[in-house]
Amino acid sequence: MAHSESARRRPLEGVRVIDLTKIVAGPNATRMLATMGAEVIRVEWHDQRALDLLRGVRPLAPGGEADSVNRSGLFNNINAGKYGVTLNMNLPQGRDLFKKLVAGASVLCENYSPNQMERWELGYETLSEINPGLIYAQITGMGKSGTYNGYLSVGPTAQALSGLTHMSGFPEPMPPAGWGYSYLDHSTGYYGAILILAALYRKRRTGRGCYLDLSQTEAGIMVSGTATLEAQVSGNPTDRHGNRMPAADWAPHGAYPCRGTDEWIAIAIQNDAQWALLAAEIGAPEWTRDARFALAAGRKAHEDELDRLMAEATLSTDRYDLMNRLQRRGVPAAAVQKADDRCERDPQLKARGYFVPLPHSEIGTWAIEGFPAKFARMPVDVGGLPHRGAPMMGEDNDYIYRDVLGLGPEEIATLREEWVI
Amino acid sequence: MNAAGLLSNALDGAVVIECGSEQGEFAGVLLASLGAEVVKLEGRHGSDSRRLGPFSIPDGGPEHSLCFSRYNLGKKSVRLEIDHPAARDALRRLAMRADVIIDSGTADAVARRLDFYREMQLANPRLIVCTITPFGLDGPSRDLAMTNLTHLALGGVMASCGYDARPDGVYDTAPIAPEMWQAYHIAGEYAVIAITAALNFRELTGEGDCIDLSIHEAVSSCTEVAMPTYIYNGEVVKRQTGRHAAEGRTRPWLRRTKDGRYVKAFLFWGGRDVRVITEMLNEAGVAHDLDSDEYRELRERAPAEAQAHFSAMIDKLVGSMTAEEVFHRAQAKGLLWASVRYPEENIADPHFQARGTFQPIHHPELGRDLHYPVSVATDGKDRVTGFSRGAPRLGEHTDEVLAQAGLTVSDIAVLRTQGAL
Repeated sequence: MAHSESARRRPLEGVRVIDLTKIVAGPNATRMLATMGAEVIRVEWHDQRALDLLRGVRPLAPGGEADSVNRSGLFNNINAGKYGVTLNMNLPQGRDLFKKLVAGASVLCENYSPNQMERWELGYETLSEINPGLIYAQITGMGKSGTYNGYLSVGPTAQALSGLTHMSGFPEPMPPAGWGYSYLDHSTGYYGAILILAALYRKRRTGRGCYLDLSQTEAGIMVSGTATLEAQVSGNPTDRHGNRMPAADWAPHGAYPCRGTDEWIAIAIQNDAQWALLAAEIGAPEWTRDARFALAAGRKAHEDELDRLMAEATLSTDRYDLMNRLQRRGVPAAAVQKADDRCERDPQLKARGYFVPLPHSEIGTWAIEGFPAKFARMPVDVGGLPHRGAPMMGEDNDYIYRDVLGLGPEEIATLREEWVI
Repeated sequence: MNAAGLLSNALDGAVVIECGSEQGEFAGVLLASLGAEVVKLEGRHGSDSRRLGPFSIPDGGPEHSLCFSRYNLGKKSVRLEIDHPAARDALRRLAMRADVIIDSGTADAVARRLDFYREMQLANPRLIVCTITPFGLDGPSRDLAMTNLTHLALGGVMASCGYDARPDGVYDTAPIAPEMWQAYHIAGEYAVIAITAALNFRELTGEGDCIDLSIHEAVSSCTEVAMPTYIYNGEVVKRQTGRHAAEGRTRPWLRRTKDGRYVKAFLFWGGRDVRVITEMLNEAGVAHDLDSDEYRELRERAPAEAQAHFSAMIDKLVGSMTAEEVFHRAQAKGLLWASVRYPEENIADPHFQARGTFQPIHHPELGRDLHYPVSVATDGKDRVTGFSRGAPRLGEHTDEVLAQAGLTVSDIAVLRTQGAL
């Protein structure tokens, strides 16, 4: 089949996205759109009060000027594939220019504090008059509508309120372990991308734009699984279960210590056959003859003792060696990998080309985390249209203001002098 | 409020065939919430997820799994043994009218059907096929046996989640896999991003695509700062109780409240927090010395000691109120704090009620509704996604869907006789 012509077309060809996002949740959404071929124009301002906090967040690429806002590795990872312009939204001329950008765009995505756009007189009603087909996705911590519309949130706030923090960790009296990072900055970005992509598909068929009021906390509620349902049926509050499997008689099911400093292996036994294979491999076939552990229900009933025996048995083993030996028998087992393991010792990530080297105009070429799928036809590239990492602050002012908006050199010079761009 | 929302018809008319394991169910339910007709193909004994708890009534029956109903809302169920030779013609007819096929499971199981899907794409070039497998369809780890737990281990999530090390730096508690199908949530979200991008691509080109999604890569891409910290600085973040993993030990965020619950109360040192928290202490009538000359002098002379003292004052403040009081009072002052809620506590929260976050779905076996989380966004008023019905009974739509695909009553009867239905 000949697909040479279509293969050059990106899924979001012709889609321009104005990206007024900060930190991680919003930028993650627009990153997905850039990966799919949208022209994503990141709008920022370099005043300390307006600066995206992420531009200064560790890790920083080594060397360079100490006060550079272009060296954060996290920023580079999350903003790859986008164009970048500066624009002072606090000046009327800046807001006028912003309206021109929006007029030619398919999508606006922003995650400022809930009422900032109204303060700038740039709410959906105003912008949809300028561009009736606009898809405006507004991402806030709690959601713009509802009773918490003035409340503020970052990932950990939303994780606490949604129930995700409570659900993670060992049961009381241990406190919740929660999530060791802003999981909901990732999830909210994914949902932002999904809803925008669905809205773009709808727009292609109907011509209609829309306003989307995304809530980071609701993204957390969405991934709370069956907890809310179980509590409604049982009348009991949701409990934590450590690494155990509350939904089935899967045991042992946990992380067990291995040789070395803070090295662990996760093992998940789903049936009696896997149990027998585990016991044989680990050199403890007598376990299988212990009446308490013979069947799944018994193992579940005696999980404390089982976990103690497992931890004793794994303590002197190498985590990768044990993982490989169990896997050869078809037993689900995996080393608990840290970032260095995934970068240096994970053959699969390497073989699939997960890490994508992309150039950055100040810090050089660095590995960017890729999109987790391969496509037979669509050209999908985390480097986006510019095929590079994140933009430096205002890197594309000339291209966007001159070539996209059609401003003349004198006009651009004046805007610079007047601190508008 | 109706079940339908702004985007619950975004994929109106799109037919999705979903088969395979629980790994693909979340992708299917997200597409159903956007208005796609999702037809779930189940073997004679039903999907494995029908045997996972919790259950709405304690019979453990396949129609009463809340795990199944959570992840299969709004779908149709067709009882069809997809690998049975006699089922091929029915599958072919279903694929001919489908827009998307989602197939999940081991790479081996999915690969057995790939030739068939390729054949179907020749006959129906608009077909989008998305496979969701542990590692993708190639690479050295392709055939490892995996579960949700082992994915969260190998993909790096667990290494960032858990409890503080002892004061001597030794970890004596295991890394934690946050509960529920988080690996499958992440993979499902990415799958829907890929599928909705492919639908947009198809609008441009008229062609479908083959998407080979790797759960391992999806999970790996969802660990925020862990990877960049290693890539840029060669450092590995360490897990900490209820807060972000970091290179070094940070101050606690979780604090106990008067009612024995927790709140997440951050301290952004050097910001406006000192003033605001001092105000809150005064309002709560809690004795403190934060506005004394001695404390101001301590901040100058010994910032670390001053921070520790300030943190102890926050503990005192939080301990004088209930978790919900802390949440609302802190938010009223512009602090990013939140109560650590049980997920089900959000069902009765007026904010989420106003936004339609949860949708009541009737459970005849209980004689009442259960409230399911269905939406992460509103259109400014009502939720944008939802379902027109609950999860299907096993094979509930077999005759209806096969008849729509062109099978006659006698064709269907023959398939039953042959054991394919």
